[in-house]
Amino acid sequence: MSIIEVGHLSKEYRLGAMQGLKQTLLNSVAKLVGNKLKEPPPFKALNDISFSIEQGEVVGIIGHNGAGKSTLLKMLAGISTPTRGNITVQGRIAPLIEVGAGFVPDFTGRENVYLNGAIMGLSRKEIDQKFDEIVDFAEIEEFIDTPVKRYSSGMQVKLAFAVASSVEAEILIVDEVLAVGDLAFQRKCFDRMEDMIKRQARTVLLVSHNIRQVERLCSRALLLDHGRIIMDARAQETCNAYYEQNDLKIKHQAMMRHSNVSTTGEVELLDLFLTDFVGNKLNAIQYCADFTVVIRVRVNKPLVKPIIVFGVHTTDFVYITTAASPHEVRLLEFPCGVVEVKFVVERCPLLPGAYSVRLSLDVEDPIKNIFYGDNLINFTVVSSELQRTSSQCEGFFLLETKWNTPQYILD
Amino acid sequence: MLRIAKNLYDYRELMYTLAWKNIALRYKQAYLGIAWAIVKPLMLMLIFTLVRSFVGIDSGSVPYPVLTFAALMLWVFFQEAASEGVTSVVGNTALIRKIYFPREIFPLTSVLTKLVELGINFLIIMALMVWYGILPGPEVFWVPLLIAYTILAALTIAFVGAAINVYYRDVGNALPVLLSLVMYASPVIYPLHLVKDRLVTHQAAGEWSNLLYQVYLLNPLAGLIDSFQNIMLRGLPPDFQAMLPGFVLVLCLLPLSYLYFKRAEAYFADVI
Repeated sequence: MSIIEVGHLSKEYRLGAMQGLKQTLLNSVAKLVGNKLKEPPPFKALNDISFSIEQGEVVGIIGHNGAGKSTLLKMLAGISTPTRGNITVQGRIAPLIEVGAGFVPDFTGRENVYLNGAIMGLSRKEIDQKFDEIVDFAEIEEFIDTPVKRYSSGMQVKLAFAVASSVEAEILIVDEVLAVGDLAFQRKCFDRMEDMIKRQARTVLLVSHNIRQVERLCSRALLLDHGRIIMDARAQETCNAYYEQNDLKIKHQAMMRHSNVSTTGEVELLDLFLTDFVGNKLNAIQYCADFTVVIRVRVNKPLVKPIIVFGVHTTDFVYITTAASPHEVRLLEFPCGVVEVKFVVERCPLLPGAYSVRLSLDVEDPIKNIFYGDNLINFTVVSSELQRTSSQCEGFFLLETKWNTPQYILD
Repeated sequence: MLRIAKNLYDYRELMYTLAWKNIALRYKQAYLGIAWAIVKPLMLMLIFTLVRSFVGIDSGSVPYPVLTFAALMLWVFFQEAASEGVTSVVGNTALIRKIYFPREIFPLTSVLTKLVELGINFLIIMALMVWYGILPGPEVFWVPLLIAYTILAALTIAFVGAAINVYYRDVGNALPVLLSLVMYASPVIYPLHLVKDRLVTHQAAGEWSNLLYQVYLLNPLAGLIDSFQNIMLRGLPPDFQAMLPGFVLVLCLLPLSYLYFKRAEAYFADVI
């Protein structure tokens, strides 16, 4: 029997400001008369979602901003009601949706522990038992009788997390709370979470933008996109898919930006694209695969000894690598008309991510730049083998190395 | 019905804690502390006593100050419980949006909070009774029941008002004004027997008099205040006849009010 069962869940919100009393009355009258209302279509925060979670599973929920993650958690915690569909939850849910929701600034730390504990569903006796542990975990012994309004924000969050995580429930719902406090405390929170998950075998739902965290803690992950589950698989696979989705988004954003082009007018860039070896245009390149770059320019004034420079930069303009046309090409003369230049990039060394292309045309004698443009086109590099969260994917390109067999050295 | 009671029992600790929060918060950093709870009825009592010295209100066998204080303490309890109940849901937006527990906890907690203040006012009335040499009879055992009835009356307003207030904040603003008007339609400044005299004995409104008196009694506080004065000060049992119309009204409206609240509750987090 699944501990959480969600079937065809949808949640709609009405867009725009709430209508005034007059509008509401007018609308009700119109409805009675049978007129059609001019209401904007509802916004679907969640759109027909179904999944089930077994006892002891640790499930991450990832997705872009506004994908419906928090809405989903709110439904599961019973804070909000579905528009359609149903949710069955067996057992007690402890929502750590936002720690410290019930803190009262005028109360002392001690009072807030009792208040917040009661809100989280702990009995007074339970709080009495756990009080020392909570204070100890939050590292605020000396300030426990000071009003919380005089705490630093870090201290408040520490205390809040300490209370929230002491709730003993079968199901934990965690929304981005691990990013609290200083690094040492984050580590502590993380350890406590890991302990709850691994040792106490609780069912946990974790929403986070920290994909590494999701991959490390979760056995399974759901990827939400515009209110739908577009992937429900092992955490690693889902995280990879999320990275790819992100790359596309970054690429799209980069495409929305204008390319920076400066030219003397002697040449015009007609076309620039990437293809595979048979000539199909590519938007995404396989990591370590070959690809061809095709450049078409219209030459308005004959060019003598042109130098073509092709470069790759990240979408935030870190220039990564550059290739200049070799000597043979430079010896040529480009007559007026359309010229196509092609070259092959072998074993693309760029690591998975989103990239942009820059291009420059110079002539020798006297050396002069006649065309320069960056952010001209965008592409992504994808890989089905590399784990995006693994350290193998840090950085921008593969460093070609030759390794000797490790030798045992006697000392 | 049973489910509601069980729910309330399950969440009793939370209600205590929230009520304690309300009280502690209200009087924190105030030098006089909880003594502020008695200021409102006491001030009104002084004003009414002053006014009475010009207009002359027959208070029967009971000294006017203590009679009007008895009315005031019950009235202020009702008024504040109702109006704080109405604003309680909106006032806890942070909790509503983050954590689930039955939302009726909020109006109930407001009432519970006011109960503590009512308790303090009991000390004052006892002091006044000692001062005027009034000894209550065995009828005082009716007090808990009367207070329970007052709570039900306050909740009738609080539930439906709190739910509507989430959508239209007008309710939270309008209610205190409206309730202070209702005070004049309740036997607070004057005792109930004056109304009864004019309408029932003297038939002041002609053939409408008896009906008008029943309409007056539809206000649950009319019968309540009179009976409270009876058992505390006059040594008489509660006047059930005077309480009946109001009681029937509360009994009809309270379930509707509660059901409306429960129906609206599902959307609080979305709308608030």
